[in-house]
Amino acid sequence: MNLDSLIHAKLDGEITPEQHEQLEALLRDDWQARRLYLELADQQARLLQQPAVNTGRLKPPSVMSRTVRWRTSALIASAAAIALLAFIVWPRSAADNEATSNGVAMVSQTLDAEFAQATVRSGDTIAPGKLTLNKGLAQIEFFSGATVLIEGATQIEILSAWEARCVSGRVRVHVPPAAKGFLMHAPDVKLEDLGTEFALNVTGRESAVHVFDGEVIAHTKDKAPASLKVGMSLASTTASVSPQDFLPVSELQGLIRQREQGRFQQWQAWSEGASKDPRLIAYYTFQHAPDDRWDRLVSNFAAPQQKQRAGGAVGAQWTQGRWPGKEALEFKRPGDRLRLNLDGSYTALTMSAWVKVDSVDKKYNSLLLTDGYDNGEPHWQIYEDGSLMFSIIYRPEGVTRGGDWNQIYYSKPVFSADSLGRWHHIAVSYSNHSGEVIQYFDGAEVGREVFNQHQPGRPISYGPCELGNWGLPTQGHPFPIRNLNGAIDEFAIYAAVLSGAEIQSIFENGHLK
Amino acid sequence: MSSESVPRTEQLVLLLTQHQEPLFRYIFSLVACEADARDILQETSLALYRKFDAYDASRPFLPWAYRFAYLQVQKHREKATRLPLLFSEDVLDLLTQDRAQMEPELDLRVQLLDGCLAKLTPQDKELVTSRYAMRQGAEEMMQRFAMSRRTLFRNLELLRQRLHECVTRQLQSEGLS
Repeated sequence: MNLDSLIHAKLDGEITPEQHEQLEALLRDDWQARRLYLELADQQARLLQQPAVNTGRLKPPSVMSRTVRWRTSALIASAAAIALLAFIVWPRSAADNEATSNGVAMVSQTLDAEFAQATVRSGDTIAPGKLTLNKGLAQIEFFSGATVLIEGATQIEILSAWEARCVSGRVRVHVPPAAKGFLMHAPDVKLEDLGTEFALNVTGRESAVHVFDGEVIAHTKDKAPASLKVGMSLASTTASVSPQDFLPVSELQGLIRQREQGRFQQWQAWSEGASKDPRLIAYYTFQHAPDDRWDRLVSNFAAPQQKQRAGGAVGAQWTQGRWPGKEALEFKRPGDRLRLNLDGSYTALTMSAWVKVDSVDKKYNSLLLTDGYDNGEPHWQIYEDGSLMFSIIYRPEGVTRGGDWNQIYYSKPVFSADSLGRWHHIAVSYSNHSGEVIQYFDGAEVGREVFNQHQPGRPISYGPCELGNWGLPTQGHPFPIRNLNGAIDEFAIYAAVLSGAEIQSIFENGHLK
Repeated sequence: MSSESVPRTEQLVLLLTQHQEPLFRYIFSLVACEADARDILQETSLALYRKFDAYDASRPFLPWAYRFAYLQVQKHREKATRLPLLFSEDVLDLLTQDRAQMEPELDLRVQLLDGCLAKLTPQDKELVTSRYAMRQGAEEMMQRFAMSRRTLFRNLELLRQRLHECVTRQLQSEGLS
């Protein structure tokens, strides 16, 4: 890498420790290198402070107006002065940088749905545009409050939170009072919903409407607006509509429930077999023991049963897992955790978990961490950029502190706006022989690395440890806030490296649909 | 709190407001990471607030403030965990010495930068807006511009290189270099 690229890597925070050493050597020896670095760093600082590109989105800093306000207040307590000082000096301009979305609706439920846009999934926010369903059922909830159920081969065009067009196919629209005035366009007709439920069938260029409840105003070309009331239909010569053609919303929910039950049972059968895997150190399925009066016990289901490896929940609350009836433990508050104590010393490990991460809001977000951080203890976390981060430490003999012996492995970032708030499978494996760490997300490999100073044969151990937090760190270390913001509904720890195919199979047997 | 100390605080606030931009640039050149630089700026401002009684108003403010900033950079270095990615003390020293000499020129460059930004192509402007105004992360930008990580950072590098060259040309044509 040449000097220019090293400097840019440094400015972008993309530099590796080796490259940083190279850059430092160049800066140390060559004043011209320092000059170039200082010019580029200054330029970067300026860009970060005040991009003068006029995009219409950037506002001039409003520092001066705040100063004026400051001057008018004659007497201010010193604590307030510091606070205000902070406010003036570091306008982080949250409003200007706030994340925005152009979504107007979301896909709330689906059943066997196949969209032409392959990336659409249940839970997605959708922006204005066409949405084509090839088969199955999908329920779209508009941000105005209107709900549209689309069925079979149907194409709709979402115009705004208040307006949509049915290009072809069948839709059923439910409009609560708050969304009164929701407009559904169809060939030759515009339906204004006055708080009701109606169905629409579009074939070719013809539309047919049936009102189940409430009132709809049908605006047609050349005719006065017509009011359609309960039980009334508006049909054309070719398109027809009959109430039986449309699946009621309640039935969709029933079908979805059935599907979920099926998946849950399938997973239970698989899990029963998986719990007999002799490579398991512990296997938590978060099945709440009904006779546990304290409500804090998380049983270890690895067979043969080793009761001493059961977990104890602290703070964390029981919640629904991947399916109704499947339980999970939710970690929200800084104190929430699941305490474990895993005896033994091992030569390899695989950790596999189903997690729903609601937000990656800390620098380190705990999955499994041992108390303290002693030789051979694995730590598994989500790093602030959304990547999975596995680390294990081996300090040379006689060294008890210091972090330079920390072997850290990052996956590529996997948790982003797109994957937060949903159930995902994550896994990591490590062999103390090869030194290779492989990380997985939803069954696919997202990282593979061998630490450059790996020495084979050093043992792995856990001892007292916990899921979802790191509350008992190394002595003298400040108390870090690392609690996971999310839920875990399955966590397995193996004493061996599972193959990619095995991880894939765990994912296949456990995912939602 | 005495009534006299309020104008004193007010004086510091005004000075910091006036000089926060060069102060941030100074700190940034030593750590090259925005979040760190902002934290250090915060610490520096507090340090200045605590020691403001010692400030001689007849002397220029910035050199005085730089000394505090430099101390805070060192403090930051001491407690940092990602040590391999921070400059060693000898390099920090060399950089601050050189920077002090270059400062008038760096200030000019910053002024010329605005003109060069205005001349960017619409695509480059979008890149600048996304990265620097909207503070979008790499992942978000990769999606938005449909680029791989490598291409994205390569493009950012080329963009900043063009801006740097543009500023250098302007500086030369004005006979100031």
